Amino acid sequence: MTTLHVRRALAALMFAVPLALCPAGGSAQGVPNQYTIKPLPPGGPTPRLPDGHPDFTGQWFPNGAGQGVSGRYGVDPAAIPQFDRKLSPEEPPQFRPEALAKIKSMTATELELSKSSVNCMPRGVPAIWLQNPYTTFIVHKPGLLAQLYEVLNNWRLIHTDGRPLPKSPEPFFHGNSTTRWEGDTLVVESIGFDERTYIMPNGWYHSDDLKVTERYTRPSMNYLIVEITVDDPKVLLKPWKSAPRRWTLGNGEIYEFYCTNNLELEELEKLRQQELQQKK
Amino acid sequence: MKSPNLLGAAALACSALVMAAPAYAHHSFAAEWDSTKCREFTGVLRKLDWQNPHPYFFVDVKENGKVEQWSFQAYSPVTLRRNGTDRQVFLDNVDKDVWIRGCLSKTGKPHAAAAGTLKFSDGVMRQVGQIQD
Repeated sequence: MTTLHVRRALAALMFAVPLALCPAGGSAQGVPNQYTIKPLPPGGPTPRLPDGHPDFTGQWFPNGAGQGVSGRYGVDPAAIPQFDRKLSPEEPPQFRPEALAKIKSMTATELELSKSSVNCMPRGVPAIWLQNPYTTFIVHKPGLLAQLYEVLNNWRLIHTDGRPLPKSPEPFFHGNSTTRWEGDTLVVESIGFDERTYIMPNGWYHSDDLKVTERYTRPSMNYLIVEITVDDPKVLLKPWKSAPRRWTLGNGEIYEFYCTNNLELEELEKLRQQELQQKK
Repeated sequence: MKSPNLLGAAALACSALVMAAPAYAHHSFAAEWDSTKCREFTGVLRKLDWQNPHPYFFVDVKENGKVEQWSFQAYSPVTLRRNGTDRQVFLDNVDKDVWIRGCLSKTGKPHAAAAGTLKFSDGVMRQVGQIQD
């Protein structure tokens, strides 16, 4: 069979074969016809610190399954998203005209090169909670919330001892933070960000006036909810609020991820040069 | 190793239906790889470079009576570990047959592709990168 024939057969089968006929549990392995990776149930009650506040400790996956889902067979589609766009729709950011013009002026390759997933720069806050397909390990104790990001081996210490924001913050990728509890919600407010980060991988940059508010809750053992507000009057017409995104509890295994062999930049730079030539 | 037959095509179609998409595409595949130039490769796995952000594996591909070594980019090591195609799986298949479906570089870089799916000699269809077609 030629490649063309295989492609045509595939195209036909993609539409013709009902999902029910597929061996969803293991594809070519022919194991039982059911999803083997399902949404993680809520689990038991919220674990708590000695002071009574919720304990956010755990390894958290950015999906509903509590385990990796990319490139795996038998995953229930309901176990993939972090939030239901119908139940909690997320408004798009309202950009100032000049910000929108700047974003739209980026070529496809410039956009790609701006992404931390491509250039290996730290994602920073709040992108680490908005555009991160890898896990985050949280160690929580009274006075300290330590966030260990699997991606690029980044880490962040958030002091929860009530210390105020600095008057003259140094620009950090993760910002400078102060915290407070509102009931069972930990509110983290941060200012002073390195301007090389992007809020989303779509060219949404930020200014030195960026203020980020993270709201953390753990309604049950297996769920961590993170809600982000981005306030950046030099870029946005009004603050942007994310949907409450759910992270699910994993088995505690995180892996080393030093980005030491990034071969993509060279290829993308070639494409960027081609784009510049075309512009001339 | 033969190209996939109709049964293989059905399995691939099914796998595309039930395979989990990434949480979102953090890379834009189309920025660097040409989804209109995807094809199958058969050859012998020779070498693995298991690094971040992407591992590369090298395959001696025999075409038109000539053997040429191609490099294939895959998902990140973390993603591959979690979907069951870890470093040891590749190492166990060095010097063995492999079938790959992947897409060529947009820059025309010779003998370089992004792998989407592959099969080692055990016949298991594995997703090792973004599937484009």
